[in-house]
Amino acid sequence: MSHSQMVASQTSPAALPPSVFTLPPTAQLEALYTIIRDKETSRGDFLFYSDRIIRLLVEEGLNHLPVVSKVVETPTGATYEGVGFEGKICGVSILRAGEAMEVGLREVCRSVRIGKILIQRDEETAQPKLFYSKFPPDIASRYVLLLDPMLATGGSAMKAVEVLMEHGVPEERIIFINLISAPEGLKAFCNRFPRLRVITGWIDKGLNEKAYIIPGLGDFGERRYCV
Amino acid sequence: MLPPLIRSVRKAHQAEVTTLKNQLLKSHGRPPWYGENGRPIGEAFVVGIAGGSASGKTHVARQIVQNLGSIPTVIILSQDSFYKKHTPEELELAFQNLYDFDHPDSVDVPLFAACLADLKAWQQSNIPIYSFTEHQRLDETKYLYGASIIITEGILALHDQKLRDLYDLKIFVQCDSDIMLARRIKRDVAERGRSVEGVLDQYLRFVKPSFDNFVSPSAKYADIIVPGSNNNVAIELISTHIRRELTNRAREFRCKITNAIKPNPSTPDPSHIAVEQLPNLHIIPQTPQLKGIYTTLRDKTSERQEFIFNVDRLATYLIEKALEFVPAGHETVTTPVGVEYNGRSIDTEICGVTILRSGGPLEKGMRRVLRDPAVGSLLIQSDVKSGEAILLHSMLPTSIRERCRAEVTWVFLLDAQIVTSASGIMAVRVLLDHGVQEDHIIFVTILAAPRGVHVLNRLFPKIKIVSGSADPNLTPIWIPGDGDDEAREVLCIEPGMGHIGDRYYL
Repeated sequence: MSHSQMVASQTSPAALPPSVFTLPPTAQLEALYTIIRDKETSRGDFLFYSDRIIRLLVEEGLNHLPVVSKVVETPTGATYEGVGFEGKICGVSILRAGEAMEVGLREVCRSVRIGKILIQRDEETAQPKLFYSKFPPDIASRYVLLLDPMLATGGSAMKAVEVLMEHGVPEERIIFINLISAPEGLKAFCNRFPRLRVITGWIDKGLNEKAYIIPGLGDFGERRYCV
Repeated sequence: MLPPLIRSVRKAHQAEVTTLKNQLLKSHGRPPWYGENGRPIGEAFVVGIAGGSASGKTHVARQIVQNLGSIPTVIILSQDSFYKKHTPEELELAFQNLYDFDHPDSVDVPLFAACLADLKAWQQSNIPIYSFTEHQRLDETKYLYGASIIITEGILALHDQKLRDLYDLKIFVQCDSDIMLARRIKRDVAERGRSVEGVLDQYLRFVKPSFDNFVSPSAKYADIIVPGSNNNVAIELISTHIRRELTNRAREFRCKITNAIKPNPSTPDPSHIAVEQLPNLHIIPQTPQLKGIYTTLRDKTSERQEFIFNVDRLATYLIEKALEFVPAGHETVTTPVGVEYNGRSIDTEICGVTILRSGGPLEKGMRRVLRDPAVGSLLIQSDVKSGEAILLHSMLPTSIRERCRAEVTWVFLLDAQIVTSASGIMAVRVLLDHGVQEDHIIFVTILAAPRGVHVLNRLFPKIKIVSGSADPNLTPIWIPGDGDDEAREVLCIEPGMGHIGDRYYL
């Protein structure tokens, strides 16, 4: 999807980093976002329609993985020149909202391994701090789909990438999958990790004084699990 | 001597016809009722049977059905269903047995004729249900569709011009008044819990005058007068007549079909149609992941679980893509942050119709993408002898059964492959018969043969076909006979992925 084709309701910063990819902004996609943005939407609907977007995001993210040509024989006895997937993948969700994206991920990647990472704001320093992480032991040899639905300032996502890189995952093998992003956060994130690909479903207007995404959809984890 | 299997089927069929009215009776599937242009040919055959109360009309109708033997689909329609909706005053009279149910004014003839006309024109009809215990028309209706013979019976079935105009054959059952009264007393006392006095009272007040004034005179419109008892010969003659009529129609029909199939030298060989020549075939973007999914599905060594998982994943994606063709409205919402957002809305009614069995694998995707969608089904098989599509069963969502809703609903028609498109054409025909708009049908499929799509396109140019892949070749393969099935030749998509239904289910 080229950035010039974005619809008016989506913010399109003049210099959107080349590592950012969005979904084709169809009326259907916009309708999905309208449902999950609406504060009147029930939890059941929120779950169902956010899952739809997540699956589309994961499908798009996977298209950035390399494939190799592969010839198979069909049940009719004909040969077919197709492609096979190369390399192992795993998901890493940023707790707790990122977990909500796991169902969608597993509907697209069968029995995929999923690591977890908990990053919270350190009240002393006001900086994001790693509280917990658990990854598959061979994570360094895998492509990582990093999952977090909201990218506001980008602080926790950048911290998560740092942690992954400390575990030996190269920057270019991480794909960050995200539902809604703010241009500020997106810019900061991509400047920091220019070789990391970001798949974002929608780029919103910006952040308000409390660093909430505007128009946004509120607290994703809260709406998905608690309300 | 019939082989045992067939005989047992016939027995079951015979048992059925003695019990059911206002039902679709079928002894085998329904062959195509439309021509090479996809439009219906002719009309259903309609028989009207009139006669006095308890003259044996229902018996005659059932005997005809039984005599016809292996006629695909029959509906016996009863005039009783069309009693008018009563006002409170009429209702009071009805409960006191003082309402004249034998007078022509008690029957809703315009509705009766409209329902019959719809069925005759191969369309669905939702006929009223009349409750004799409540003496009232109920709010619910009975959905009927797809009969090639409709038998209407009722004392006044021949009374009204509007109804008579719809009949292909008009029968009057002539019975002695004494016998009719005797039968009526017996039936009403035993089956309807009435007293002999009450029955006689009603007979003298309403039944007899109506018979003399309206029913008996309508005999002059009949093509045939049938005696009310010992009428085997008459029924035999009627059945022979109907059978001959149907055979003539079928022959005419076959001719038209055969002419259509004959190769026409002026048109290009349909086996070499390029995907680009098919404006309504939408092949979804061939991303690396999509190619990978198809490689897994085509690989004959792929394990069952792997196959099922990837079909579900693909179906989900195909339905997402198909949804892009459904229009969206505009809507403004407020987000939890308190900001207004001008977005889009999906307020169109969408339902699914699966062509069984191979359309089934696409259902999971449908349910993942649409919130609690109604998904109906059509079991269409190809007839072993003729290779023709046969409709064996249809179960459609309520949004299609009612014509006014069918006209605005969108339908995702699901089938794993489009090969010759014979079953697809039949399925589309069923939807169009119900009033679904052609441009509201989106055919979602995993694999399409351009030749089949070409046929579908030509017949129904407004239907969109969303597929993940199009395979160029159709190869005839020989399927050896197996038990009851005879050996036959079928067309198979190459390179294809084998039988998707078998690989998904078996």
